[in-house]
Amino acid sequence: MFTSKKNFSPEYIHKKSNIINIIILLIYIMILFIFWNFQVVNYEHYKNLALMNIYDTVKIKAPRGLILDKNNMVLAKNRINFSLFISISRSKNINNTIHNLSKLLNIDEEEIKLRINKYKEYPPEYPIIIKRNIKLKTVIYLKSHKNLFPEIEIKLEPARSYPFKKIASHILGYISEIPRTFLKKKEFKNYDLGDLIGITGIESIYEKYLKGKKGEKTVIKDSQGIIKEELSSTPSISGANIHLTIDFELQKFIENFLLNNKGTVGVVDLSNGGILALVSKPNFNPEELSSEISYKKWLEILNNPDKPLTNRFIQGIYSPGSVFKIVMSIAALQEKVITTNTFYNCFGEINIYNRTFHCWNSFGHGMVNIYSALEQSCNIFFYNLGKRIDIDLISKYSKMLGLGQKTGIDLPNEKIGLVPSRKWKLKRFGVKWFPGETISVAIGHGQLNVTPIQILKLISTIALRGVIKDFHIIDYIEKDGKIIYKFKTKERQLPIQKKYFEIVIEGLYRVVNKEGTAISAKIEGLDICGKTGTAQIISKRNVNYKKLVKKGKFKPHSWFASFAPRNNPKIAVVVLIENGGNAGSIAAPLASKIYKWYFNK
Amino acid sequence: MKDFIKYFDKLDFLLLLGISILGIFLISSAVQDSSVNYGLKQSLWLTFSVILFFVIMKIKTDFIFKSSFLIYLFLIIILIFQILSNKIISGTKSWIKIGLFNIQTSEFIKIFIALILAKYLEKINVIGWKEFLQIFIIIGIPFILIGLQPDFGTAFTLLSFFATIFILKKIKKSIILSLLILSLVSSYISWNYILKDYQKNRILSFLNPGKYKKTFNYQSIQSKIAIGSGGLTGKGYKRGSQSKYKFLPIRHTDFILSILGEEFGFFGISFLFTLFFLFIYRQYNTRIQNNRDFTFIFLFTTIILFQFVINSLMTVGLFPIIGIPLPFVSYGGSSLLALFMGEAIIFRINLNNFLLNE
Repeated sequence: MFTSKKNFSPEYIHKKSNIINIIILLIYIMILFIFWNFQVVNYEHYKNLALMNIYDTVKIKAPRGLILDKNNMVLAKNRINFSLFISISRSKNINNTIHNLSKLLNIDEEEIKLRINKYKEYPPEYPIIIKRNIKLKTVIYLKSHKNLFPEIEIKLEPARSYPFKKIASHILGYISEIPRTFLKKKEFKNYDLGDLIGITGIESIYEKYLKGKKGEKTVIKDSQGIIKEELSSTPSISGANIHLTIDFELQKFIENFLLNNKGTVGVVDLSNGGILALVSKPNFNPEELSSEISYKKWLEILNNPDKPLTNRFIQGIYSPGSVFKIVMSIAALQEKVITTNTFYNCFGEINIYNRTFHCWNSFGHGMVNIYSALEQSCNIFFYNLGKRIDIDLISKYSKMLGLGQKTGIDLPNEKIGLVPSRKWKLKRFGVKWFPGETISVAIGHGQLNVTPIQILKLISTIALRGVIKDFHIIDYIEKDGKIIYKFKTKERQLPIQKKYFEIVIEGLYRVVNKEGTAISAKIEGLDICGKTGTAQIISKRNVNYKKLVKKGKFKPHSWFASFAPRNNPKIAVVVLIENGGNAGSIAAPLASKIYKWYFNK
Repeated sequence: MKDFIKYFDKLDFLLLLGISILGIFLISSAVQDSSVNYGLKQSLWLTFSVILFFVIMKIKTDFIFKSSFLIYLFLIIILIFQILSNKIISGTKSWIKIGLFNIQTSEFIKIFIALILAKYLEKINVIGWKEFLQIFIIIGIPFILIGLQPDFGTAFTLLSFFATIFILKKIKKSIILSLLILSLVSSYISWNYILKDYQKNRILSFLNPGKYKKTFNYQSIQSKIAIGSGGLTGKGYKRGSQSKYKFLPIRHTDFILSILGEEFGFFGISFLFTLFFLFIYRQYNTRIQNNRDFTFIFLFTTIILFQFVINSLMTVGLFPIIGIPLPFVSYGGSSLLALFMGEAIIFRINLNNFLLNE
């Protein structure tokens, strides 16, 4: 603009100073206009952004409901523990942080990295839980060296405690961090990553009652997510308490009795179908699984050949063995295949369909009818029934009496088992049923597979003379002293004549009280009725049978299904000892101890 | 002495002092919970600057112009020494440690470039290739050295000298054309070979805010939120949530204006801008007849205005974040000291003018 003039002297520029001043004024106005636009025109927009920066709602975890036994003994409760969180945004060097944490908490660096990685979709200031249940020593160290670890935060959190450790672990289950895949589902919309959720047992099945309702805090936080001020809060609402039908003293008694045996025991109160005890061994320590368990430890438990996480009572699949003779008896009587006057002669073995079938007693039982056949558990008698009753009819009665289907007990992942039929075989293998197979099924072998709880259902239905009662482990749910749910037992009568039940019960009475297979269970003055069973794991016809069985691993499982007293029965007990061998010498005496304990208390 | 009191530009001096004191208040708010009391440190710097201001006013202007080239060379040597010694303080090599305080050489060299240029341009009205080359070397050497430190903000401000010269003098068209080509080539080279990734990212995030949202544009977004949420009247002194809760980056230096905007709103911004532009206006409207002195005032005032505008635009996301402080307001002893030294020379020139006219 000054290029037209040859001499750019100060005088010349002074003359043109108006132009310079106008330029300065324009810059002044322009900049003010820009700020006006930000601070006045778009004020609301930026005000909200500023508020969004600092306001946050923090969830307050709710204490979980308690789990109690029928005598109000607390089986699962809450304690306070120290949990360690880190915020990535506050870490100067994340690799250093991981290294320090690894040394401090004695966790693999890889495991911490995996953990942090789980939260990669979360903002960097989100507190990531690294370990629960921190040792007090570590807490004190961290608190006194706070400035060294600005990224670490220690919070007090409610944690689960199972005061009796392993006892009743399969009933209670355990809690663990909610799997990431769950979070996307609608039913888990109230959960956040890092929240604990019931994984098995009562903890899982009554999760929605136990978990309670989270509280909320409105806070002001700084750019690193550090809470500076608390504005308001809605307190959390603790979960409801679950009262079980379990009698913890009985449960403990049985668990201590079983010691290191593998096996399972169930006791049911016949007046209402409530489970009094449910033992499965080996079991686990739910407290260990509910805290931060290392991946290595977890694999160790998962790969344990004894499967401590399997609740054998509802998830173990076994041949019912001779216990199944009860079903055969009911079917034969109701279908009028036999009467109490029907006798078969037992020579120790029998040839059916060109195959030789053996009785367990190779000397033979002589002439047997239904009473003595049950009492002695004579195979020959039931082979004969297998010849005369069609497999589909056997299947029908098995299912009627509760086998091959879920009992509906309020525990997760109950197995179904298998009751074979013609239709099933055709569908499964594409071939038709051979009558010879029915002979094996008749003594509880062959394709037949049941869970111990199904056997408990069977023996209970027999004890109640055809009345089926739903099993349950929950009694009622209570919140702040008010009962919000109470289990109501439903029952129905089977279309089987009562007199046939009386006949079978007489047989079962003799098993324990006359010359039967479970004479070892007899208690004077208490009419225990029961049936032993020996479930072969490998065929007796295997050439190496004797050698393999000696090794123990292939020793047959022993069953004892029973109830007492004979009239107006109070409880039913099913015992299954894996590789227990002769039922009369191990399963039956244990049942007897349970009755003694129960009726003498 | 009587003359001094009579002709000393009291209003301008009060404006300078006022703006600087406002800066101290804002710095105190910016670093409320810092362990270092930057507010106090800045007040000490201001005291020192004011003392130096009056000391320099005692020195004859001719003497300053005469010795300017020597000091210029001396500072160039220090710059080279700094680069070679590779002394790294706070990420860049631009700090040389003297006692308790850190001195930034690049802030001082601006004064002497302006002095040399003013002296050189005294006799020149039309800038040809020879003259241009000499000017180019005077500015270019420190430009490259400061850029190498790397302190692109300060290096960038040196470019304002060219702008002033273009306004004051006549320049051959061929020079303008070559400059255009040169700037294109040099920006290509610096993009590909000189700029570090974080610097490129800052520029990229400025050009494409959406894409670099979370990381590189974070500072710019938080600054805009701070200023915008201040509204008309602001949130109150030391009550800005953006600064108090540390959402604002480098609060006490480059983003000091964001604090003013957040805590005192548009009124606060207008107040500072009015003081500042009043000061700038008065500087430009000097009645100096001496061509050399006049050119110096223009060069030095323009560089201050330039920094002021760039910093303001930076805080509202209209300019990339390249590290230019707000003159007189941002924390920084070297910057404040250099500004007062330059102003001392201008005040002396104006005083001379009155005494001469007397």
